[in-house]
Amino acid sequence: MYRSTGFVSFVLRRLTGIALVLYLIAHIWVIGSVNGGPELFNSRLAAVQTPIFKLAEVALLAAVVYHAFDGIRLLIVHYFDVTEYRKSLFYAAFVVSVILTIAGGLPILLFAFQG
Amino acid sequence: MASPVKSKSMATIRVQRFNPDSDAKPYMQEFQVPNLQGTTLLDALHRIKHEQDGSLTFRRSCRHAICGSCAMNVNGRNILVCKAPLQGQLDRKGAVTIKPLPYLPIIKDLVVDRSTFWNEYLRVKPWLVPPATSPEKEFRMSPQEVAALHNAETCIMCGACYSACQVVALNKEYIGPHALLKSFLRVLDPRDSIPGERLAEVGTDEGVFRCHTIFNCIDACPKNLNPTQAIETLRRLAQKRTAFEAARVERQRTIAGSLDAEVTPAAEGGVGDVP
Amino acid sequence: MRVFQFQRISAIALLVFLTIHMTVVHYPPFHIDFSRIIDRMGQPLWKAIDIAFLFFVLLHAISGSYAVLIDLGGVARMKRTLAASAILLAIVGFVYGTLTILAFQPPV
Repeated sequence: MYRSTGFVSFVLRRLTGIALVLYLIAHIWVIGSVNGGPELFNSRLAAVQTPIFKLAEVALLAAVVYHAFDGIRLLIVHYFDVTEYRKSLFYAAFVVSVILTIAGGLPILLFAFQG
Repeated sequence: MASPVKSKSMATIRVQRFNPDSDAKPYMQEFQVPNLQGTTLLDALHRIKHEQDGSLTFRRSCRHAICGSCAMNVNGRNILVCKAPLQGQLDRKGAVTIKPLPYLPIIKDLVVDRSTFWNEYLRVKPWLVPPATSPEKEFRMSPQEVAALHNAETCIMCGACYSACQVVALNKEYIGPHALLKSFLRVLDPRDSIPGERLAEVGTDEGVFRCHTIFNCIDACPKNLNPTQAIETLRRLAQKRTAFEAARVERQRTIAGSLDAEVTPAAEGGVGDVP
Repeated sequence: MRVFQFQRISAIALLVFLTIHMTVVHYPPFHIDFSRIIDRMGQPLWKAIDIAFLFFVLLHAISGSYAVLIDLGGVARMKRTLAASAILLAIVGFVYGTLTILAFQPPV
């Protein structure tokens, strides 16, 4: 494959997008049980709150955040001529994603493994 | 860019070979050429062909970056080999890797099949369709209108951008940055009388809306052109096609006017400067 | 063109809805169970927000999946079938989701 930051951005965007679609299906499975009463809902929710799933939740956060900020980067590229800054923009989006994942992921993990 | 290796007397050229008549698949072959300052990669390829292996096959013509024949993949990037200094492409061990343009079928050695490239080019009607009334002397265009076309006109159809594009790699249905740049050239040309038809042709999921702004085309272009920006502009215009067509009709009322008439370029859909 | 426009419009809408969703549902306190959601999900305002959120999520997910699928050369020939299936899937998902949201009543 022809390697470039644009290529990395494209692949990550696609992979996070597919991961998020799969997550959506799982989410509908859990939330859709809300009309089945508290026992059903809580049991489904408990099934996806185990420590492994907590780690997966951080990965989910990473996927959402990266996908969102790369998407914002695309909106900027669409409305402004950023040819000169195309690489910097990508690095900025990536760095912001990493920071927010850590900032949001730490509370999730801390809560899960102490609570 | 690899740092120049001036101390070594010989440079190693690793070339991808493939003869469909005798080889099952492509393989790399190494040659040694004198590491002389001032020689280009094309010079090196010629030296190999003329002195070492006459069967080495590659396309070239003008040898000064205007015909677009010699685009190849060198050290992972698409460039014109006629304007690449040999020493600038060598790695620390004094070697350079030359492969044919990626994602296209290989005919032989460094020669690829560019049929899809040319078919997409023809598909966008890359010629001017002038208005019904010809001017007595000239078409009256403003300096801004001419400037907007300048970069797109410089394209030499070398195929570096098309072959670097990941979308082309995935799917040959995509029209391609080269043809979309040419379409942009004609869409923005006030002398052209079919902008609506052009925008309808490229404003589809196979055209401008398939570009994922990966920017490889800009990286690859030996003339520093900007197909991505052209595609973004076409995307905007495609969404406002009717208004753009009407503006062109209005513009063409004065374009074939007499020398005394004032040149009044219409605001055509908010087109920005093309870098 | 439409897929591209749907993608962009739903993306912008989702930036808004996701921010609301993350701050209201997921950040502190972190524990989520039935009792936490019943107050909010019984209110008509939140039902409306959730239905709109679902609409834009499905629009973005379906447009995105369609874009990914047509890039894979082999399936490009089935474009029309893919588009129809995608729209159907989105409608089914939206109807199921909306009915679930509307039907929810906090138990007395």
